[in-house]
Amino acid sequence: MNFPAYRALARCVVLESLRRKDLWVVAILGFVILLASSTLGFFGFKGLEIFAKDMAVTVLGMFSTIIAILTSCRLVPDEVKNRTLYPLLARPITRLDLLVGKLIGAVVVTWISFLMLAALTALALTIFHVKFELIMVQYLLAKMLGLVVVCGFSMAFSVYMTPSASATVAFLVAFGAPMVTRGLVLAAAGNPSLTPICKIINTVLPQTSLFDLGGRAVYLGWGLVPVWVMGFLFAYGLCYSGAMLFVSWLKFRRQAV
Amino acid sequence: MSSAIEVKDLYVQYKTKKGEKLDAVKGLTFDVKQGEIVGFLGPNGAGKSSTLKALMGFVEAKSGEATIFGETAGTPDARKRIGYLPEVAMYYPFLTPMETLTMYGELQGMRGKLLRNEIEDLLEVVGIAHAKNKLNRSMSKGMLQRVGIAQSLLGNPELLVLDEVTSGLDPVGRKELRNILKKRQEQGTTLFFSSHELAEVDMLCDRILLIHKGKFVEERDMHELKATLRNFYVTYRGDASMLGLTDAWNENPDGTKTARFEAKDGLVSAITRLQEKGGQILDVVSQEGSLEDYFIDTVEAAA
Repeated sequence: MNFPAYRALARCVVLESLRRKDLWVVAILGFVILLASSTLGFFGFKGLEIFAKDMAVTVLGMFSTIIAILTSCRLVPDEVKNRTLYPLLARPITRLDLLVGKLIGAVVVTWISFLMLAALTALALTIFHVKFELIMVQYLLAKMLGLVVVCGFSMAFSVYMTPSASATVAFLVAFGAPMVTRGLVLAAAGNPSLTPICKIINTVLPQTSLFDLGGRAVYLGWGLVPVWVMGFLFAYGLCYSGAMLFVSWLKFRRQAV
Repeated sequence: MSSAIEVKDLYVQYKTKKGEKLDAVKGLTFDVKQGEIVGFLGPNGAGKSSTLKALMGFVEAKSGEATIFGETAGTPDARKRIGYLPEVAMYYPFLTPMETLTMYGELQGMRGKLLRNEIEDLLEVVGIAHAKNKLNRSMSKGMLQRVGIAQSLLGNPELLVLDEVTSGLDPVGRKELRNILKKRQEQGTTLFFSSHELAEVDMLCDRILLIHKGKFVEERDMHELKATLRNFYVTYRGDASMLGLTDAWNENPDGTKTARFEAKDGLVSAITRLQEKGGQILDVVSQEGSLEDYFIDTVEAAA
Protein backbone atom coordinates (compact mmCIF):
# COMPACT_ATOMS: atom_id res chain seq x y z
CA MET A 1 0.00 0.00 0.00
CA ASN A 2 1.64 3.21 -1.21
CA PHE A 3 -0.70 5.85 0.24
CA PRO A 4 1.46 8.91 -0.56
CA ALA A 5 1.50 7.83 -4.22
CA TYR A 6 -2.28 7.27 -4.25
CA ARG A 7 -2.79 10.72 -2.75
CA ALA A 8 -0.48 12.41 -5.28
CA LEU A 9 -2.11 10.67 -8.25
CA ALA A 10 -5.68 11.25 -7.03
CA ARG A 11 -4.98 14.93 -6.37
CA CYS A 12 -3.71 15.28 -9.94
CA VAL A 13 -6.95 13.74 -11.32
CA VAL A 14 -9.12 16.04 -9.18
CA LEU A 15 -7.13 19.20 -9.99
CA GLU A 16 -7.18 18.43 -13.72
CA SER A 17 -10.91 17.77 -13.59
CA LEU A 18 -11.62 20.99 -11.67
CA ARG A 19 -9.49 23.14 -13.95
CA ARG A 20 -10.81 21.50 -17.11
CA LYS A 21 -14.16 22.73 -15.84
CA ASP A 22 -15.74 19.25 -15.97
CA LEU A 23 -17.60 20.13 -12.80
CA TRP A 24 -19.09 23.18 -14.48
CA VAL A 25 -21.26 20.78 -16.43
CA VAL A 26 -22.54 19.48 -13.11
CA ALA A 27 -23.21 22.99 -11.87
CA ILE A 28 -25.14 23.81 -15.06
CA LEU A 29 -27.15 20.59 -14.68
CA GLY A 30 -27.93 21.57 -11.11
CA PHE A 31 -29.06 24.97 -12.27
CA VAL A 32 -31.36 23.33 -14.83
CA ILE A 33 -32.84 21.18 -12.06
CA LEU A 34 -33.45 24.30 -9.95
CA LEU A 35 -35.09 26.01 -12.90
CA ALA A 36 -37.31 23.00 -13.64
CA SER A 37 -38.36 22.81 -9.99
CA SER A 38 -39.30 26.47 -9.94
CA THR A 39 -41.51 25.88 -12.97
CA LEU A 40 -43.25 23.07 -11.09
CA GLY A 41 -43.60 25.39 -8.14
CA PHE A 42 -45.28 27.97 -10.35
CA PHE A 43 -48.05 25.51 -11.18
CA GLY A 44 -48.40 24.47 -7.55
CA PHE A 45 -46.45 21.73 -5.85
CA LYS A 46 -49.15 20.08 -3.76
CA GLY A 47 -49.49 16.39 -4.52
CA LEU A 48 -46.41 16.46 -6.71
CA GLU A 49 -43.88 15.97 -3.90
CA ILE A 50 -43.41 12.29 -4.54
CA PHE A 51 -43.21 12.79 -8.29
CA ALA A 52 -40.61 15.55 -7.77
CA LYS A 53 -38.54 13.40 -5.41
CA ASP A 54 -38.75 10.46 -7.79
CA MET A 55 -37.58 12.66 -10.64
CA ALA A 56 -34.79 14.06 -8.50
CA VAL A 57 -33.33 10.65 -7.51
CA THR A 58 -33.65 9.38 -11.10
CA VAL A 59 -31.85 12.42 -12.51
CA LEU A 60 -29.24 12.25 -9.75
CA GLY A 61 -28.59 8.57 -10.37
CA MET A 62 -28.38 9.02 -14.12
CA PHE A 63 -26.10 12.06 -14.22
CA SER A 64 -23.78 10.80 -11.52
CA THR A 65 -23.38 7.49 -13.39
CA ILE A 66 -22.62 9.36 -16.62
CA ILE A 67 -19.99 11.47 -14.85
CA ALA A 68 -18.45 8.37 -13.23
CA ILE A 69 -18.16 6.60 -16.59
CA LEU A 70 -16.84 9.57 -18.54
CA THR A 71 -14.25 10.39 -15.85
CA SER A 72 -13.00 6.82 -15.39
CA CYS A 73 -12.95 5.78 -19.04
CA ARG A 74 -10.35 8.32 -20.05
CA LEU A 75 -7.94 8.04 -17.14
CA VAL A 76 -5.52 5.46 -18.49
CA PRO A 77 -6.01 5.96 -22.27
CA ASP A 78 -5.43 9.72 -21.89
CA GLU A 79 -2.17 9.07 -20.06
CA VAL A 80 -0.99 6.87 -22.94
CA LYS A 81 -2.26 9.21 -25.68
CA ASN A 82 -0.80 12.36 -24.11
CA ARG A 83 2.47 10.61 -23.21
CA THR A 84 2.15 11.76 -19.61
CA LEU A 85 2.49 8.13 -18.58
CA TYR A 86 6.28 8.00 -19.05
CA PRO A 87 7.36 10.37 -16.28
CA LEU A 88 4.83 8.65 -14.00
CA LEU A 89 6.06 5.13 -14.68
CA ALA A 90 9.65 6.34 -14.35
CA ARG A 91 8.98 6.87 -10.62
CA PRO A 92 9.49 4.09 -8.09
CA ILE A 93 5.84 3.04 -8.09
CA THR A 94 4.22 -0.12 -9.42
CA ARG A 95 1.64 -0.09 -12.19
CA LEU A 96 -0.93 -1.25 -9.63
CA ASP A 97 -0.15 1.85 -7.53
CA LEU A 98 -0.82 3.94 -10.61
CA LEU A 99 -4.20 2.29 -11.24
CA VAL A 100 -5.25 2.57 -7.59
CA GLY A 101 -4.30 6.27 -7.45
CA LYS A 102 -6.15 7.01 -10.68
CA LEU A 103 -9.25 5.11 -9.53
CA ILE A 104 -9.31 6.98 -6.23
CA GLY A 105 -9.06 10.25 -8.17
CA ALA A 106 -11.98 9.27 -10.42
CA VAL A 107 -14.07 8.27 -7.40
CA VAL A 108 -13.36 11.59 -5.65
CA VAL A 109 -14.30 13.60 -8.77
CA THR A 110 -17.50 11.56 -9.14
CA TRP A 111 -18.39 11.98 -5.48
CA ILE A 112 -17.83 15.75 -5.61
CA SER A 113 -20.08 15.98 -8.68
CA PHE A 114 -22.72 13.76 -7.09
CA LEU A 115 -22.77 15.70 -3.83
CA MET A 116 -22.93 19.02 -5.70
CA LEU A 117 -25.89 17.78 -7.71
CA ALA A 118 -27.52 16.32 -4.61
CA ALA A 119 -27.09 19.59 -2.70
CA LEU A 120 -28.60 21.64 -5.51
CA THR A 121 -31.49 19.19 -5.93
CA ALA A 122 -32.14 19.16 -2.20
CA LEU A 123 -32.12 22.97 -2.19
CA ALA A 124 -34.62 23.05 -5.04
CA LEU A 125 -36.94 20.61 -3.30
CA THR A 126 -36.62 22.27 0.11
CA ILE A 127 -37.75 25.58 -1.38
CA PHE A 128 -41.07 23.88 -2.11
CA HIS A 129 -41.25 22.35 1.38
CA VAL A 130 -40.65 18.76 0.25
CA LYS A 131 -39.91 16.61 3.29
CA PHE A 132 -36.88 14.36 3.57
CA GLU A 133 -36.33 11.49 5.98
CA LEU A 134 -33.10 10.10 7.34
CA ILE A 135 -33.18 7.35 4.73
CA MET A 136 -32.19 10.01 2.20
CA VAL A 137 -28.74 10.05 3.84
CA GLN A 138 -28.57 6.26 3.45
CA TYR A 139 -29.62 6.69 -0.19
CA LEU A 140 -26.71 9.11 -0.74
CA LEU A 141 -24.22 6.80 0.99
CA ALA A 142 -25.36 3.73 -0.93
CA LYS A 143 -25.29 5.64 -4.21
CA MET A 144 -21.75 6.82 -3.50
CA LEU A 145 -20.68 3.20 -2.91
CA GLY A 146 -22.38 2.21 -6.16
CA LEU A 147 -20.46 4.91 -8.01
CA VAL A 148 -17.19 3.31 -6.84
CA VAL A 149 -18.29 0.12 -8.62
CA VAL A 150 -19.17 2.08 -11.77
CA CYS A 151 -15.76 3.81 -11.73
CA GLY A 152 -14.07 0.41 -11.22
CA PHE A 153 -15.60 -1.37 -14.19
CA SER A 154 -15.36 1.72 -16.44
CA MET A 155 -11.62 1.93 -15.81
CA ALA A 156 -11.21 -1.81 -16.36
CA PHE A 157 -12.97 -1.58 -19.74
CA SER A 158 -10.77 1.36 -20.75
CA VAL A 159 -7.63 -0.71 -20.24
CA TYR A 160 -8.87 -3.33 -22.72
CA MET A 161 -10.72 -1.13 -25.24
CA THR A 162 -10.56 2.27 -26.89
CA PRO A 163 -12.02 5.10 -24.75
CA SER A 164 -15.20 5.42 -26.85
CA ALA A 165 -15.79 1.65 -26.95
CA SER A 166 -15.19 1.35 -23.22
CA ALA A 167 -17.60 4.23 -22.48
CA THR A 168 -20.30 2.60 -24.63
CA VAL A 169 -19.89 -0.79 -22.95
CA ALA A 170 -19.78 0.86 -19.52
CA PHE A 171 -23.07 2.68 -20.23
CA LEU A 172 -24.65 -0.58 -21.38
CA VAL A 173 -23.48 -2.38 -18.26
CA ALA A 174 -24.40 0.43 -15.85
CA PHE A 175 -27.90 0.93 -17.19
CA GLY A 176 -28.55 -2.55 -18.58
CA ALA A 177 -27.20 -4.78 -15.81
CA PRO A 178 -30.22 -4.32 -13.48
CA MET A 179 -32.57 -5.40 -16.28
CA VAL A 180 -30.39 -8.35 -17.24
CA THR A 181 -30.13 -9.41 -13.60
CA ARG A 182 -33.90 -9.38 -13.20
CA GLY A 183 -34.29 -11.28 -16.46
CA LEU A 184 -31.80 -13.91 -15.34
CA VAL A 185 -33.62 -14.42 -12.04
CA LEU A 186 -36.89 -14.96 -13.92
CA ALA A 187 -35.17 -17.26 -16.42
CA ALA A 188 -33.66 -19.35 -13.63
CA ALA A 189 -37.04 -19.56 -11.87
CA GLY A 190 -38.70 -20.71 -15.07
CA ASN A 191 -36.01 -23.21 -16.03
CA PRO A 192 -33.95 -24.56 -13.07
CA SER A 193 -31.36 -26.12 -15.40
CA LEU A 194 -30.27 -22.57 -16.30
CA THR A 195 -29.65 -21.68 -12.66
CA PRO A 196 -25.84 -22.30 -12.64
CA ILE A 197 -25.30 -20.22 -15.79
CA CYS A 198 -27.57 -17.46 -14.50
CA LYS A 199 -25.67 -17.46 -11.20
CA ILE A 200 -22.31 -17.14 -12.95
CA ILE A 201 -23.51 -14.26 -15.12
CA ASN A 202 -25.07 -12.56 -12.11
CA THR A 203 -21.81 -12.89 -10.18
CA VAL A 204 -19.82 -11.32 -12.99
CA LEU A 205 -22.27 -8.51 -13.67
CA PRO A 206 -22.13 -5.56 -11.29
CA GLN A 207 -25.25 -5.48 -9.11
CA THR A 208 -25.69 -1.72 -9.38
CA SER A 209 -29.38 -1.91 -8.47
CA LEU A 210 -28.38 -3.05 -4.96
CA PHE A 211 -27.04 0.44 -4.33
CA ASP A 212 -30.20 2.18 -5.41
CA LEU A 213 -32.29 3.04 -2.35
CA GLY A 214 -34.14 5.68 -4.39
CA GLY A 215 -37.49 3.88 -4.13
CA ARG A 216 -37.38 3.88 -0.32
CA ALA A 217 -36.10 7.44 -0.18
CA VAL A 218 -38.91 8.80 -2.35
CA TYR A 219 -41.87 7.41 -0.44
CA LEU A 220 -42.40 8.58 3.11
CA GLY A 221 -42.77 6.10 5.91
CA TRP A 222 -39.99 3.68 5.02
CA GLY A 223 -37.75 2.75 7.87
CA LEU A 224 -33.99 2.93 7.79
CA VAL A 225 -32.07 0.18 6.06
CA PRO A 226 -30.37 -2.06 8.67
CA VAL A 227 -26.72 -1.35 9.33
CA TRP A 228 -25.69 -4.86 8.24
CA VAL A 229 -27.19 -4.21 4.80
CA MET A 230 -25.15 -1.02 4.49
CA GLY A 231 -22.13 -3.02 5.67
CA PHE A 232 -22.81 -5.64 3.02
CA LEU A 233 -23.11 -2.96 0.34
CA PHE A 234 -19.80 -1.51 1.48
CA ALA A 235 -18.13 -4.95 1.37
CA TYR A 236 -19.63 -5.77 -2.03
CA GLY A 237 -18.59 -2.40 -3.45
CA LEU A 238 -15.06 -2.85 -2.14
CA CYS A 239 -14.75 -6.45 -3.43
CA TYR A 240 -16.17 -5.68 -6.87
CA SER A 241 -14.00 -2.58 -7.36
CA GLY A 242 -11.02 -4.58 -6.11
CA ALA A 243 -11.80 -7.29 -8.64
CA MET A 244 -12.07 -4.71 -11.42
CA LEU A 245 -8.76 -3.21 -10.34
CA PHE A 246 -7.21 -6.67 -10.52
CA VAL A 247 -8.67 -7.21 -14.01
CA SER A 248 -7.23 -3.84 -15.12
CA TRP A 249 -3.84 -4.71 -13.64
CA LEU A 250 -3.73 -8.10 -15.40
CA LYS A 251 -3.62 -6.30 -18.74
CA PHE A 252 -1.81 -3.12 -17.74
CA ARG A 253 1.05 -4.70 -15.76
CA ARG A 254 2.81 -5.97 -18.90
CA GLN A 255 1.42 -3.57 -21.45
CA ALA A 256 4.13 -1.93 -23.56
CA VAL A 257 3.77 1.84 -23.42
CA MET B 1 34.77 1.40 -11.51
CA SER B 2 31.43 -0.39 -11.09
CA SER B 3 28.67 -0.25 -13.67
CA ALA B 4 25.63 2.01 -13.50
CA ILE B 5 24.00 0.22 -16.44
CA GLU B 6 24.72 -3.30 -17.62
CA VAL B 7 22.95 -4.72 -20.64
CA LYS B 8 23.58 -8.26 -21.83
CA ASP B 9 22.19 -9.71 -25.05
CA LEU B 10 19.01 -7.63 -24.86
CA TYR B 11 16.19 -8.34 -27.27
CA VAL B 12 13.09 -6.14 -27.48
CA GLN B 13 10.19 -7.17 -29.66
CA TYR B 14 6.93 -5.39 -30.47
CA LYS B 15 3.74 -6.75 -31.89
CA THR B 16 2.28 -4.63 -34.67
CA LYS B 17 -1.47 -4.05 -34.94
CA LYS B 18 -1.55 -6.74 -37.62
CA GLY B 19 -0.02 -9.17 -35.15
CA GLU B 20 3.38 -9.25 -36.84
CA LYS B 21 6.45 -9.37 -34.63
CA LEU B 22 8.96 -6.58 -34.98
CA ASP B 23 12.44 -6.83 -33.48
CA ALA B 24 13.43 -3.37 -32.28
CA VAL B 25 16.56 -4.40 -30.38
CA LYS B 26 18.59 -7.47 -31.35
CA GLY B 27 21.09 -8.78 -28.86
CA LEU B 28 22.46 -5.53 -27.53
CA THR B 29 25.31 -5.70 -25.00
CA PHE B 30 26.97 -2.71 -23.37
CA ASP B 31 27.69 -1.13 -20.04
CA VAL B 32 27.93 2.38 -18.62
CA LYS B 33 30.33 2.99 -15.77
CA GLN B 34 29.39 5.13 -12.79
CA GLY B 35 30.18 8.81 -13.33
CA GLU B 36 30.43 8.54 -17.13
CA ILE B 37 28.53 10.59 -19.70
CA VAL B 38 27.63 8.22 -22.50
CA GLY B 39 25.86 9.20 -25.70
CA PHE B 40 23.62 6.63 -27.31
CA LEU B 41 23.60 7.21 -31.05
CA GLY B 42 21.91 5.73 -34.04
CA PRO B 43 19.72 6.78 -36.95
CA ASN B 44 15.92 6.92 -36.68
CA GLY B 45 14.48 3.50 -35.91
CA ALA B 46 17.82 2.17 -34.68
CA GLY B 47 16.29 1.04 -31.39
CA LYS B 48 17.57 3.77 -29.06
CA SER B 49 14.21 4.66 -27.52
CA SER B 50 13.26 0.97 -27.28
CA THR B 51 16.46 0.27 -25.36
CA LEU B 52 15.80 3.18 -23.00
CA LYS B 53 12.20 2.02 -22.55
CA ALA B 54 13.42 -1.47 -21.69
CA LEU B 55 15.82 0.04 -19.15
CA MET B 56 12.92 1.94 -17.59
CA GLY B 57 10.57 -1.05 -17.67
CA PHE B 58 8.10 0.56 -20.09
CA VAL B 59 8.46 -2.42 -22.39
CA GLU B 60 9.36 -5.93 -21.41
CA ALA B 61 12.53 -7.39 -22.90
CA LYS B 62 11.94 -10.54 -24.94
CA SER B 63 15.21 -11.94 -23.62
CA GLY B 64 18.50 -10.81 -22.20
CA GLU B 65 19.36 -8.99 -19.06
CA ALA B 66 19.52 -5.35 -18.03
CA THR B 67 20.54 -4.06 -14.63
CA ILE B 68 20.77 -0.60 -13.08
CA PHE B 69 23.31 -0.44 -10.23
CA GLY B 70 22.90 -4.20 -9.94
CA GLU B 71 19.07 -4.05 -9.64
CA THR B 72 16.92 -5.55 -12.37
CA ALA B 73 16.00 -2.75 -14.78
CA GLY B 74 12.39 -1.63 -14.64
CA THR B 75 11.76 -2.49 -11.01
CA PRO B 76 10.77 0.28 -8.56
CA ASP B 77 14.10 -0.27 -6.72
CA ALA B 78 16.03 0.43 -9.91
CA ARG B 79 13.82 3.37 -10.90
CA LYS B 80 14.35 4.97 -7.51
CA ARG B 81 17.92 5.76 -8.60
CA ILE B 82 17.05 7.06 -12.07
CA GLY B 83 15.92 10.43 -13.38
CA TYR B 84 14.24 9.99 -16.75
CA LEU B 85 13.40 12.49 -19.45
CA PRO B 86 11.14 11.12 -22.19
CA GLU B 87 11.66 11.93 -25.86
CA VAL B 88 8.53 14.07 -26.09
CA ALA B 89 7.95 16.06 -22.94
CA MET B 90 4.23 16.24 -22.21
CA TYR B 91 2.93 17.25 -18.85
CA TYR B 92 -0.56 17.67 -17.43
CA PRO B 93 -1.88 20.78 -19.20
CA PHE B 94 -4.06 21.88 -16.29
CA LEU B 95 -1.34 21.70 -13.65
CA THR B 96 1.36 24.29 -12.96
CA PRO B 97 5.10 23.36 -12.99
CA MET B 98 5.03 23.61 -9.20
CA GLU B 99 2.12 21.15 -8.91
CA THR B 100 3.59 18.87 -11.58
CA LEU B 101 6.91 18.62 -9.78
CA THR B 102 5.19 18.23 -6.40
CA MET B 103 3.32 15.22 -7.75
CA TYR B 104 6.45 13.61 -9.21
CA GLY B 105 8.37 14.37 -6.02
CA GLU B 106 5.71 12.71 -3.89
CA LEU B 107 5.75 9.68 -6.16
CA GLN B 108 9.52 9.64 -5.64
CA GLY B 109 8.89 9.43 -1.90
CA MET B 110 9.75 13.03 -1.06
CA ARG B 111 7.46 15.43 0.77
CA GLY B 112 7.08 18.55 2.87
CA LYS B 113 9.47 21.46 3.06
CA LEU B 114 12.37 19.46 1.67
CA LEU B 115 10.45 18.76 -1.52
CA ARG B 116 9.20 22.34 -1.82
CA ASN B 117 12.72 23.73 -1.42
CA GLU B 118 14.17 21.32 -3.97
CA ILE B 119 11.45 22.20 -6.49
CA GLU B 120 12.08 25.94 -5.99
CA ASP B 121 15.82 25.35 -6.54
CA LEU B 122 15.29 23.19 -9.63
CA LEU B 123 12.87 25.66 -11.22
CA GLU B 124 15.51 28.32 -10.67
CA VAL B 125 18.24 26.11 -12.18
CA VAL B 126 16.23 25.31 -15.33
CA GLY B 127 15.16 28.94 -15.66
CA ILE B 128 11.39 28.78 -15.25
CA ALA B 129 11.00 29.99 -11.67
CA HIS B 130 9.06 33.00 -12.99
CA ALA B 131 6.46 30.66 -14.53
CA LYS B 132 6.08 28.26 -11.63
CA ASN B 133 2.39 29.06 -11.13
CA LYS B 134 1.41 29.22 -14.80
CA LEU B 135 -0.56 26.34 -16.27
CA ASN B 136 1.55 23.94 -18.35
CA ARG B 137 -0.85 24.41 -21.26
CA SER B 138 0.20 28.03 -21.59
CA MET B 139 3.90 27.19 -21.90
CA SER B 140 6.05 26.89 -25.00
CA LYS B 141 7.70 23.62 -26.06
CA GLY B 142 11.04 24.81 -24.74
CA MET B 143 9.58 25.73 -21.36
CA LEU B 144 7.87 22.34 -21.11
CA GLN B 145 11.20 20.69 -21.90
CA ARG B 146 12.64 22.61 -18.96
CA VAL B 147 9.83 21.30 -16.74
CA GLY B 148 10.79 17.86 -17.99
CA ILE B 149 14.45 18.40 -17.19
CA ALA B 150 13.52 19.61 -13.70
CA GLN B 151 11.39 16.53 -13.06
CA SER B 152 14.23 14.26 -14.19
CA LEU B 153 16.59 15.94 -11.71
CA LEU B 154 14.16 15.64 -8.77
CA GLY B 155 15.50 13.66 -5.85
CA ASN B 156 19.10 14.01 -7.03
CA PRO B 157 19.19 10.71 -8.98
CA GLU B 158 22.42 8.78 -9.38
CA LEU B 159 21.68 8.05 -13.03
CA LEU B 160 20.07 10.31 -15.62
CA VAL B 161 18.50 8.61 -18.63
CA LEU B 162 17.64 11.26 -21.16
CA ASP B 163 15.90 10.61 -24.46
CA GLU B 164 16.59 13.35 -27.03
CA VAL B 165 17.60 15.69 -24.28
CA THR B 166 17.93 18.97 -26.20
CA SER B 167 14.72 18.60 -28.18
CA GLY B 168 12.80 21.89 -28.19
CA LEU B 169 15.54 23.96 -26.59
CA ASP B 170 17.03 27.08 -28.17
CA PRO B 171 20.85 27.54 -28.29
CA VAL B 172 20.86 29.40 -24.97
CA GLY B 173 18.77 26.65 -23.38
CA ARG B 174 21.12 24.00 -24.77
CA LYS B 175 24.13 25.72 -23.29
CA GLU B 176 22.40 26.06 -19.93
CA LEU B 177 21.45 22.39 -20.05
CA ARG B 178 25.01 21.36 -20.87
CA ASN B 179 26.20 23.30 -17.84
CA ILE B 180 23.57 21.66 -15.62
CA LEU B 181 24.51 18.18 -16.84
CA LYS B 182 28.25 18.80 -16.52
CA LYS B 183 27.69 20.04 -12.97
CA ARG B 184 25.69 16.92 -12.16
CA GLN B 185 28.48 14.75 -13.52
CA GLU B 186 30.99 16.56 -11.32
CA GLN B 187 28.74 15.63 -8.39
CA GLY B 188 28.98 11.97 -9.41
CA THR B 189 25.84 11.51 -11.49
CA THR B 190 26.04 9.10 -14.42
CA LEU B 191 24.48 10.30 -17.67
CA PHE B 192 23.15 8.12 -20.45
CA PHE B 193 21.41 9.93 -23.23
CA SER B 194 20.25 9.47 -26.77
CA SER B 195 20.47 12.34 -29.20
CA HIS B 196 20.48 13.26 -32.84
CA GLU B 197 22.37 16.44 -32.03
CA LEU B 198 25.94 15.40 -32.72
CA ALA B 199 27.25 18.76 -31.57
CA GLU B 200 25.76 18.09 -28.11
CA VAL B 201 27.26 14.63 -28.08
CA ASP B 202 30.59 16.11 -29.05
CA MET B 203 30.51 18.66 -26.24
CA LEU B 204 29.13 16.41 -23.49
CA CYS B 205 30.17 12.80 -23.88
CA ASP B 206 33.05 10.77 -22.54
CA ARG B 207 32.02 7.84 -24.69
CA ILE B 208 29.54 7.02 -27.43
CA LEU B 209 27.66 3.84 -28.27
CA LEU B 210 26.47 3.50 -31.82
CA ILE B 211 23.63 1.19 -32.80
CA HIS B 212 21.91 0.51 -36.09
CA LYS B 213 18.82 -1.58 -36.84
CA GLY B 214 18.73 -2.76 -33.24
CA LYS B 215 22.30 -4.05 -33.29
CA PHE B 216 25.43 -2.76 -31.64
CA VAL B 217 27.81 -1.19 -34.15
CA GLU B 218 30.67 0.21 -32.07
CA GLU B 219 31.65 2.14 -28.99
CA ARG B 220 34.26 4.86 -29.01
CA ASP B 221 36.01 6.97 -26.46
CA MET B 222 35.29 10.55 -27.44
CA HIS B 223 38.86 11.79 -26.97
CA GLU B 224 40.23 8.96 -29.09
CA LEU B 225 37.57 9.45 -31.71
CA LYS B 226 38.24 13.17 -31.93
CA ALA B 227 41.96 12.47 -32.32
CA THR B 228 41.16 10.03 -35.12
CA LEU B 229 38.93 12.51 -36.84
CA ARG B 230 41.45 15.39 -36.62
CA ASN B 231 43.14 16.43 -39.88
CA PHE B 232 46.30 18.48 -40.39
CA TYR B 233 46.82 20.74 -43.38
CA VAL B 234 50.10 22.13 -44.72
CA THR B 235 50.13 24.85 -47.34
CA TYR B 236 53.52 25.17 -49.11
CA ARG B 237 55.25 26.45 -52.20
CA GLY B 238 57.19 23.82 -54.12
CA ASP B 239 56.78 20.61 -56.14
CA ALA B 240 54.23 17.97 -55.37
CA SER B 241 57.01 15.38 -55.43
CA MET B 242 58.55 16.96 -52.35
CA LEU B 243 55.93 15.16 -50.22
CA GLY B 244 56.13 11.40 -50.34
CA LEU B 245 53.71 10.80 -47.49
CA THR B 246 50.84 12.97 -48.55
CA ASP B 247 47.37 11.49 -48.19
CA ALA B 248 45.93 14.12 -50.46
CA TRP B 249 46.90 17.43 -51.95
CA ASN B 250 45.24 20.33 -53.68
CA GLU B 251 46.67 22.90 -56.01
CA ASN B 252 45.48 26.36 -55.00
CA PRO B 253 44.70 29.18 -57.54
CA ASP B 254 47.82 31.15 -56.48
CA GLY B 255 50.06 28.18 -57.34
CA THR B 256 50.57 27.04 -53.73
CA LYS B 257 49.67 23.51 -52.66
CA THR B 258 47.75 22.22 -49.61
CA ALA B 259 48.33 18.71 -48.31
CA ARG B 260 46.15 16.87 -45.79
CA PHE B 261 47.46 14.47 -43.13
CA GLU B 262 45.31 12.28 -40.94
CA ALA B 263 48.03 11.61 -38.40
CA LYS B 264 50.45 13.89 -36.61
CA ASP B 265 53.40 11.64 -37.50
CA GLY B 266 52.73 12.10 -41.18
CA LEU B 267 52.61 15.85 -40.73
CA VAL B 268 55.95 15.99 -38.90
CA SER B 269 57.78 13.87 -41.47
CA ALA B 270 56.26 15.91 -44.31
CA ILE B 271 57.46 19.17 -42.77
CA THR B 272 60.97 17.71 -42.34
CA ARG B 273 60.99 16.50 -45.95
CA LEU B 274 59.78 19.90 -47.21
CA GLN B 275 62.55 21.68 -45.29
CA GLU B 276 65.18 19.26 -46.61
CA LYS B 277 64.06 19.67 -50.22
CA GLY B 278 63.83 23.46 -50.07
CA GLY B 279 60.05 23.79 -50.02
CA GLN B 280 58.54 26.92 -48.44
CA ILE B 281 56.01 26.20 -45.72
CA LEU B 282 53.30 28.89 -45.72
CA ASP B 283 50.74 27.56 -43.23
CA VAL B 284 50.05 24.61 -40.92
CA VAL B 285 46.49 24.08 -39.70
CA SER B 286 44.96 21.48 -37.38
CA GLN B 287 41.23 20.95 -37.96
CA GLU B 288 38.67 18.94 -35.96
CA GLY B 289 37.03 16.26 -38.06
CA SER B 290 33.28 16.10 -38.45
CA LEU B 291 31.42 13.77 -36.11
CA GLU B 292 28.59 13.86 -38.61
CA ASP B 293 30.82 12.35 -41.32
CA TYR B 294 31.98 9.68 -38.91
CA PHE B 295 28.37 8.94 -37.94
CA ILE B 296 27.16 8.70 -41.55
CA ASP B 297 30.16 6.63 -42.69
CA THR B 298 29.87 4.21 -39.78
CA VAL B 299 26.13 3.77 -40.15
CA GLU B 300 26.46 3.23 -43.90
CA ALA B 301 29.18 0.66 -43.32
CA ALA B 302 26.98 -1.14 -40.80
CA ALA B 303 23.91 -1.16 -43.08
